[in-house]
Amino acid sequence: MSGGGQMARMGEYAVSRDPEDRLTALGLGSCIGLALVDRRTGVAGLAHIVLPVGTPLETDPPVKYAPTAVPYLIERLVALGARRNHLRAVMVGGASMFAASSKLEVGARNAAVVRELLERSRIQIAAAATGGKRGRTIRVYVGEGRVTSRVAGSAEEDLVAAASVMAFA
Amino acid sequence: MSTQFNDVALDALRELANIGSGNPSTALSSMLGRPVDISVPIASALALGDAVDAIGDAESDVTGIILGIVGELTGSVVLLVAPEDAETLCGLLGVEADSEWGLSALGEIGNIVGASYINALAAMTGLEMEPTPPATVTDMLGAIVASALAEHCDGSDVALVLDSEMSVEGDDCAISFLLIPQAGGVRELLGRLGIES
Repeated sequence: MSGGGQMARMGEYAVSRDPEDRLTALGLGSCIGLALVDRRTGVAGLAHIVLPVGTPLETDPPVKYAPTAVPYLIERLVALGARRNHLRAVMVGGASMFAASSKLEVGARNAAVVRELLERSRIQIAAAATGGKRGRTIRVYVGEGRVTSRVAGSAEEDLVAAASVMAFA
Repeated sequence: MSTQFNDVALDALRELANIGSGNPSTALSSMLGRPVDISVPIASALALGDAVDAIGDAESDVTGIILGIVGELTGSVVLLVAPEDAETLCGLLGVEADSEWGLSALGEIGNIVGASYINALAAMTGLEMEPTPPATVTDMLGAIVASALAEHCDGSDVALVLDSEMSVEGDDCAISFLLIPQAGGVRELLGRLGIES
């Protein structure tokens, strides 16, 4: 494990306003890693969303389904001091890992539904790395407001560069 | 409603996976011309978040061969082969692991092992189960396993995983194969075995 920070595993989320913190979702396939960042207040969150639709059980983890995950993450960030209209989104994942065997297209539907939910919540998507056939890892560097994606066998790449480099909104 | 499975149910599933893995190990053994051992499977009902970690390092590279199961019990069978084991297996079959032939050979191993596992489970339970054509990918373990779990986790708050391992005698080479059934189908199956879950 490339140590430090908080992990968002399947159906889990992490939020932080500690500038030293890093939020990670490892090995996203059809799942979506949704990062929401408010650079002005330095608050960031990451949700590891599993399915585009469905009825959550009371005992399900909080961000398993996209329709409940997006508002839930926004709420948690606002509670931590983020301003709703300053939030910018980064989406990673939604791949189709087994093109030949799966007819469900969970990945593509995940990406489409999360995109639509963000639009409806009037949250701008700053960057996205979705679709295709490869798995990805997303990392959110809370203090820098930087978000990266990594594909198997490749180096980590910036999707959104550090705050000092790129003016946000 | 929580979807916990009790110890009796998990024991029954483990035994089912144990007997069911006899066929695939025979199939692999005749492909490779080597004796193949099987370990006692692990049956677990885990929180979705814990499931990938229980199988391996989410970001590690692995070759996965996945077969869907259609019929009365739906789910997936996923074979996972670590890079060094892929090399050994391909060596035994006389192909380069890092080539198209290598990937195709691993896919064929997965196809034969997976299909014979599914057929054995069908024969034992009397449930209609058919394998779908396999897909072979080399990628992050988490991306492969989580995508398989995602397809079967709606309506259940646990991930049910039956994890078996085959090892090729004398070659220090192992393949793990997972059965990820849809939880509703497993209830039906346990019911037929006369077990309350």
